Order: sequence, then C-alpha cells, then structure tokens
Amino acid sequence: MSDQIVLPSYKEQSPEVSARFKALHQRPVKLKVEGLSKTFHTSKGSVNVLKSIDLDIHRREFVSVIGPSGCGKSTLIRMLAGLETLSDGRFLLNDKEVSGPSADRGMVFQGYTLFPWLTVKKNVMFGLEVNGASGTSVEQEALQWIELVGLARFAEAYPSQLSGGMKQRVAIARALATQPEVLFMDEPFGALDPHTRSQMQAYLLQIWKNVDVTIMFVTHDLDEAIYLSDRILVLKANPGEIHEFIEVPVPRPRTPGQFLSPEFLAVKQHLEELIHPERTDDDEPSDLPLVRMTSAGDNVE
Amino acid sequence: MKSHKKAAKASSPWFVIRKELDPNQRIILSCFSFLLPLIIWAVVSYTPFIWHPDVKLQLSADRTDVTTIYSAGDRLSKEFYPSFVEAIQSDNEKILAARESGEVDGSSFSIRRANLKTMRHLTPVAIANGWLSRDEVEDESLYEIWQQLAEGTLEQKSVQLSDENIEIVKRNWALMSDRSEVFNSKLLPETPLEKLVPQGKPSNPSYLPSPHEVVSKGFQDFTAEAEGNNPSLVQRYGHSLRIVFLGFLFAALVGVPLGVICGTFDFFSKLFEPFIDFFRYMPAPAFSTLLVAVFLANDAPKIALVFVGTFFQLVLVVANTTRQLDASLLEAAQTLGASKATQIRRVILPGILPDLFNDLRILLGWAWTWLVIAELIGVKSGLTEFMDTQGRFRNFDSVFPVIILIGVSGFVTDQILSSLRKYLFPWTPESSSKKHGLVGRFTFWLLDRKVYDTPLNGRI
Repeated sequence: MSDQIVLPSYKEQSPEVSARFKALHQRPVKLKVEGLSKTFHTSKGSVNVLKSIDLDIHRREFVSVIGPSGCGKSTLIRMLAGLETLSDGRFLLNDKEVSGPSADRGMVFQGYTLFPWLTVKKNVMFGLEVNGASGTSVEQEALQWIELVGLARFAEAYPSQLSGGMKQRVAIARALATQPEVLFMDEPFGALDPHTRSQMQAYLLQIWKNVDVTIMFVTHDLDEAIYLSDRILVLKANPGEIHEFIEVPVPRPRTPGQFLSPEFLAVKQHLEELIHPERTDDDEPSDLPLVRMTSAGDNVE
Repeated sequence: MKSHKKAAKASSPWFVIRKELDPNQRIILSCFSFLLPLIIWAVVSYTPFIWHPDVKLQLSADRTDVTTIYSAGDRLSKEFYPSFVEAIQSDNEKILAARESGEVDGSSFSIRRANLKTMRHLTPVAIANGWLSRDEVEDESLYEIWQQLAEGTLEQKSVQLSDENIEIVKRNWALMSDRSEVFNSKLLPETPLEKLVPQGKPSNPSYLPSPHEVVSKGFQDFTAEAEGNNPSLVQRYGHSLRIVFLGFLFAALVGVPLGVICGTFDFFSKLFEPFIDFFRYMPAPAFSTLLVAVFLANDAPKIALVFVGTFFQLVLVVANTTRQLDASLLEAAQTLGASKATQIRRVILPGILPDLFNDLRILLGWAWTWLVIAELIGVKSGLTEFMDTQGRFRNFDSVFPVIILIGVSGFVTDQILSSLRKYLFPWTPESSSKKHGLVGRFTFWLLDRKVYDTPLNGRI
C-alpha cells in the first residue's frame, strides 16, 4: 500500500444502517442503568473503579464494552449480573429494579466454569433444574440447546474431554437454556486461539440471530467488538466513565469479508484513538532503546 | 532401517533430571524399593561375618555356684560365651577329679536330682533334631535318646553335637546303663555325671530375628486358635481394625460436614477454626487418662482417642479443600439461579468430592498411626496387647509380623482407595474411562437425583 487510504467518518451510516438504528431505538429498553458507581476499599485506600454510568440497552441489542485495562469493564457487567454489590446507583431490567444474581441475567465467563462432574447435557440441564423444572422435558430442552451450539454428538461427554471452543459453546448453551433476558459475556473468547476465536464469533452471531436475547459483551479485541456489535460502549480508566457509545455503521448480516470495509476500518481507527491516545507523558518511552546484541556482521535484518 | 529400529528400541536412560521414567522402569524401581530393605535384612541375618554379635545357645548347662541360668535359645554376647564354656569345662574337671578321689559332696538324692537335670539339658537338641516332638517330652524317651546317642544310632540333623559332647554322652551313658537300661528316677547314677558343654551358633540380637523366623513365627501365631480369655491373632486384628475404622468414621461423620460448612461460610470458619487449629497441637495421647475417665473401659476410650487424633486435622483439611473449589463455579451457578442450599448441594459437594476423597484417604493413614497408643490406654487390647506381651519376653519374632501386618493393612487400604478414584470420579482427567463407578453413580444419584432420575438417561 503506497498511499494512506482516506476513510469515511465512523459516524456516516448507509440508509439501511441508519434505518436499522432508528428501529432499534424504538424497541423497548431492556436494561436501564442509572448513575452506577463502584468503589473498592482496600488497605491502600479506596479506588473509584466506575463513576456514574448511565445507559439504555434495547431488546435484542448486541452491545460490546471495551476500554483500556483497569477501566472496570468486567466490574460493570459483574455488577449488572449481580455478582458485585453496587456502591451507588441502580439498574432496571424491564423497568423493574433488580439486585443479586438471578437466572434472568445469564453470564458466560472467560474460564468456561462448566461443572466438571456433570456431562455436557447435565451441565445444560443444571440451570433448568435449579429453577424448578423437572421431568423428561428438561432433558429434551437441554438437548435442543446443545444442538443449537452444534454439540449434539458430545451430549454425554465430560467437559474435560472437550476443547476450549467446545467448552465455551456448552457454557453459552447452559447460560441460554434458562432463557435469560440479558446475557453477559466476560471476554468469553479471550483464552482461545485466533482460529477458534473467529469461528466462535461466527457461531455467536448465528446463535444470537436464532434466540431472543440481549447481549452485553466485554472484550479487549477491537475487531471482535466491531464485528459482533450493534453498539460499542467505550470506557476510560481512572475512574471508569463512559467515553463514548458508538453506533457501528457496518451493515448486517456481518461476514468476515467486512473486516476490510471502509466503515469497519473507520470505526476501528476511531476506537484506536479513543483507547490508545497519543502519549503525552514521558513515563514510558514509546520505543525501546536501540542496542545491538547480535554478533558483528549479522546483517540479516 | 535397522539403525532406526535400534534407536527406537534403545532403552531410556535411568538418570534424567526432572523427567519421568517410562512405565517399565518405574515398576522395576517400585519393586526394588520393597526388595532392597528385604535384601539388606536377609543379608544381615544370614551372613555371619557381617554382624552377628551374639551366640544363640543350642545346648546349655547350669554352672555350679552361679545363680544365672541360661537355657537353649538364649543369646550370649560373643565376648562372654567362651568364658561360659570354660566355666562348664572346669566344672567337669572338678567332677572328674572328685570322682577319682572319691570325695563326692551331697547326698545320693541330691546327686540323682542334679544328674536328672544334666540329663534333661539334652532336650532342646532332641527337639531341634526331631528325635522328640515338643508335646511328648518325657524322661523315659529322653533316657532312650541318651542310649541311642551313646551307641551312635541317631542321625544328627540340624544340631550337631561336638565330639567333646559325644564323648561326654558316652562316658555318662556308661554310668547310667550300669544302674539301669530304662529310665527310673530312683536308679539314676549316684556319682555326678559330667555336664554337656554349651554349644551355640553366631546370631543377631533377639531384636533382629531373621526373615524366615519372622515368617514361620508369624504363620504359627496367626494360625493359632483362641485360648480361653486370650483371643486369637485374627480376632485381635479384627478388633484393631474396628477401633481404627470406627474412630475414623466418627471423625469423618462429624468432621466432614463441619469442614464443609467452615469452608463455605466465613462465619463458621472464623467461629470454629481458630480453636480447632489450637486444639490440634495438643497431642491426642495427652488425653488418654481423661478419655478413660469419661468413656470408662472397653473400646470407647480407644475409639475416642483415634477420633481426637484425627478429627481436628480433618476439619481443617476439609475446610481448606472446600475453599480450594473454584469460586467462579459458584458464580456461574448463581447466574443460573441457584439458591444457597442448591449451591452447597449441587456445586460445592460434588465439586470437592474427588479432593475430599483424597483427604479422607490420607487422614485414614493418620488414624492408623493412633491405633497402637489407643490400644495401650485403659485395658490393653488387640494387636498391641499381643505385641506388648511378646515384646516383654523379647519374642521379637512374634512382634515383627504384627508390626508388618499393621503397615501392610494401612498401605493396602490406601492403595485400594487410591485406585478406586478413577472409577468413582470419571470426570477427573486421571480417569480416562467413561464409565461411572457403582459408588460414584450412587453418590451422584443422592446428590443430583433429578439428573439421574430422567427416564431418557442414556438412551439418547
């Protein structure tokens, strides 16, 4: 590439995309967050991790959360899932205030968290059973979810016999089986190799298309965020505040071919600027000092 | 091609830093780890010049004017043995000298009695050589043996009498046969007979019996029937097992729930664990008199001692194991809607089960170590009473089999439980088999009834 490609603004939307966002904003608000704050008290004093977060997330929306490390993106969804207490503020699910963990807000963790002593099928049945369902219907329902994530052949396998990607698909099936209103995903593909990862992204989009679920997806991979999301919530660190809530102008259905489309690259460039701004401080040099440690005459590079 | 094959077949090296050996090598070495001590034991026992500081008497004699009596089977130090032999030889010289000069001390009755003793000193040799069986030792048959020995018609097998002794036997028999050809206590010689000179062979001290002695004595002891108030060794073994397992069972019954609760709720952890942590430093035997006072006689104080010795460790270990469970599993369960009770029953319990099994296996080993002390308190009982009694008589060939039995019991239980793991917990990486063990199925049916109740189970 000889010339710098001139990218459109990330705010430019094609008519179809713009219509889609209009419709999206017409949908009922699934999750409403008001003035959410989190302060951790440690022996070294208190740390303000998140400060007055306000959001509206609509039904069947796919929202990604990105931000520099330490910006509290994991803390945010853990609070919404009920796994962390709130220091201030509140959130509403379907206009009702909720607190504590519950099956209406599912969660997929980076570490799979499958129950190792249960087979795939019984892992998926777990959520249905603890919510009071029983009988043959539970098993059939579980098998349907397993089929949805393409693991019907492994229904009787133990998690230890599965690969990372398969484990994460089981975890998704397990989280979806209780039919949560919102599904939180905390860097779910972070531990997978790049190939499996892109495969999983495609699977996730497919699953999301087939299921009525609102997804909030934490990641640090910009491509992943753009490829999957309707909107991207960008946080900044110290304290964690909303930097920008971006509407992704890449039209749906999404395909891997769109990774090089002008809209995609425009969003990516903008995200890069938000997350990795030009350094102004001199704490860390931008380049390593040049010291030659190779033997004299080694001019391979 | 050939060289390739050779390379593949080349034996793997034995000494590699931090690398596992291949399975065959491991098995060989594991066998050697047991064989090596056995070999050392056998070598020390059967090679006279390595150690053998004592002489084990095969034939003994009474010294005049000395009250210490040695009988066959006793061990004398190598330094003392020659002087003992010399003393008897000089006694014999005195007897001969007295006979010559005709100055014999004592009444004819006391001389006959001394001669009867001298005659009877041959008994151990007669038994060892199989001329007499242990049950039919009678003076009449012993008298015949003296005759046959003097006439040289007996075959000497395991104990060879020295030429010196054969001569003494011949000279004595001449005197004895003069009086009577068959035994008659009134018709024993009334001149003092010469004493048989002590004989012995080099041996190790009584506390290191040789392997074959231990095996044969062990076999003898274990096949012996119970006599009156004295239970057989098999009954004693059963009794000891009962104490270990009951003590452990009670400790586990109380300790596991308490440990799980402490590991689950910080409230109970902080409420119980500090005191338990303190209590476990007080040695269980220190409570023995207290336990006897509280639980009185019989097995109760013994079981209580095993309990005290195991329980406190168990609670702390189980609590720790419970805390080791990946907390994110509990978070996942919560986001699936699991209540507190459900989390304990369906996540914590099955989640810690493989580690809990391992803990209990190790703690059962602990319980075994308390057995001997437990059996010593109050009224001595079980294997320990047997060891204690035999040890007092220095019958260490009877003590060793029991010590080994306790070790083997603990070791074998541990190995069995350890090998059960893969059947019980088929999901653990160590278990490659997909099959549920019987006990595992049952446990999970209890914990996770709904999952196993579904009629479709296994058919899809």
